Amino acid sequence: MKRTRNRIVFALLCIVAAGLLFVDCIVGVSTLSAAKALQALVSPFGISLPFAPSVSENEIYIVLFLRLPRVLFSAVAGAGLAVCGMAFQALFRNPLSDPYVLGVSSGASLGAAVAIVLGAESMIWGVGLSSFAFAVLTVLIIIRISSYGNRIHTSTLLLAGISINFLISAIISLLMVLNKEQMEKITFWTMGSLSYIDYKDLAMVACTVVIGTLAVLFHSRDLNALLIGNQTAQSLGVNVERTKRSILLICTLMVSTIVSCSGVIGFIGLVIPHMMRTIVGADNRKLLPFSIVGGSIFMTIGDILSKSIIPPSEIPPGSITALIGAPFFIYLLFNSKKRLNQ
Amino acid sequence: MIEVEGLNCFAGKKQILSDVSFSLRKGEFAALIGNNGSGKTTLLKCLTRNIAFQSGNIKIDQKDLLSYSHKELAKKIAFVPQHTDLMFDFSAHQLVLMGRTPYQKPLYFDSEKDLEIVEQAMKQTNTWHLRNSNAKTLSGGEFQRVIIARALAQQTPVLMLDEPISNLDIHYQFEVMSLLQQINAKGITVLIVLHELNMTMQYCNKVLLMQNGTMAAQGKTSDILSVENIELFFDVKAQITPLEKHIIISKK
Repeated sequence: MKRTRNRIVFALLCIVAAGLLFVDCIVGVSTLSAAKALQALVSPFGISLPFAPSVSENEIYIVLFLRLPRVLFSAVAGAGLAVCGMAFQALFRNPLSDPYVLGVSSGASLGAAVAIVLGAESMIWGVGLSSFAFAVLTVLIIIRISSYGNRIHTSTLLLAGISINFLISAIISLLMVLNKEQMEKITFWTMGSLSYIDYKDLAMVACTVVIGTLAVLFHSRDLNALLIGNQTAQSLGVNVERTKRSILLICTLMVSTIVSCSGVIGFIGLVIPHMMRTIVGADNRKLLPFSIVGGSIFMTIGDILSKSIIPPSEIPPGSITALIGAPFFIYLLFNSKKRLNQ
Repeated sequence: MIEVEGLNCFAGKKQILSDVSFSLRKGEFAALIGNNGSGKTTLLKCLTRNIAFQSGNIKIDQKDLLSYSHKELAKKIAFVPQHTDLMFDFSAHQLVLMGRTPYQKPLYFDSEKDLEIVEQAMKQTNTWHLRNSNAKTLSGGEFQRVIIARALAQQTPVLMLDEPISNLDIHYQFEVMSLLQQINAKGITVLIVLHELNMTMQYCNKVLLMQNGTMAAQGKTSDILSVENIELFFDVKAQITPLEKHIIISKK
């Protein structure tokens, strides 16, 4: 009964995600009808839709080369961030963990800023590698601060994450002041933007997210055991330390790759796994596909709103996700406070 | 079944276990007793490889503990911790199903066999009717039975439990101990950390008594839980009613 309900909900979510991806292809500075956008999308296959008006080369270019990579990137990045949030929450046994709160995203954006200032931007993988290195470093520092007695403590983790996020913002501001000519580029990474996404970025992020998600799926049973506690997981045959290190590395790689292309986009990893748990429960094996689709939907909605609220200007999609995510974060904190008082 | 020889374990510079040796034979129901801080939990953690020990030898079925892979060890020893703190909502059935983790391959669904074993374990622990309940909403006794069902689903020859009845009221204490007795009757070796000497007297056939990180005494329950030993090791006045196997304890 429950399984059938879950399948129906999942199918509906997939339909919603597909619909939103199409809407995201229509929305933009140049006005395009849905029929024209659809015709442009199928034109590479030599298909001519009977109901669609003819589309110009220019319109095909806009849809296929300017909008489609960005739309697909939104979906893939949203899925990746949601999967990382789910994995972090299991790993730290903490419902408030996500790549943004843990400082992975900020660390990656600092890495990008440092690479720009040092002129490594023109090197192959320069920004990407620097983002990854700084993201790993940030996570290690935050975990070091917040763990004592073999456990990572919720309140210390949050405080450490917030403090490190502040510290990183301050360092990035300093870098911007000292390198005024690079200010615009650095701002891009701190605010997040999908304006310059191309197929190269999409391919890089898609490869990382697909491989990373498969790796998380591979460990999903172990993550369930970790949700009950390290000692229990160990007694169930999970190699706790190896699993923790693998997941941390995989997720940091996913997040830093996404951030190195789009800048910081927060709260998806926090909000989506929680929302999906209310539908499908805490079993990570079932939660993973729901988080993938949920993350895609959330990020695509963020992208649509960022393009359509004050056209032709764009609001950074990170602001939209934060506007939805931050109140949700407060709600979770409020709930955990209530639980403590019980 | 289990042989421990000259075990030493340190936490930083502090020695927690000092030259601990004992053995457990198949089918024994042994209690690990001693005052707080005597090293009982540390010993259990060493036996389940949750912490590393510095020197000594632990053998399970004549094979060195450290030579077992994580999964192999999980097929030999099931462990019930003192506290299971649930941060997320799992049903009782999902919790028990986790006991099958050592037998399952990644990316595979739960097999019919896994589901059958889980059903058996839940029926044996009288928790089958709770299978769809959120584990967070269960009473202390129900929850502890679910956790024991998970350990049973692991289908191991050895079950180790760290103070499984210390947070339960007297009714549930008897319920859990009776359940463990039934499990032991099926040939499973049980090693349980206990503070309740009466329960030890009534249910266990072997006692390992620890003091200050050493194995102070070990042997048959009736031999170890003597008035002299209880008064000496627990610093209380004791009196034993021999027919009913009850210990009456009062302040010295």
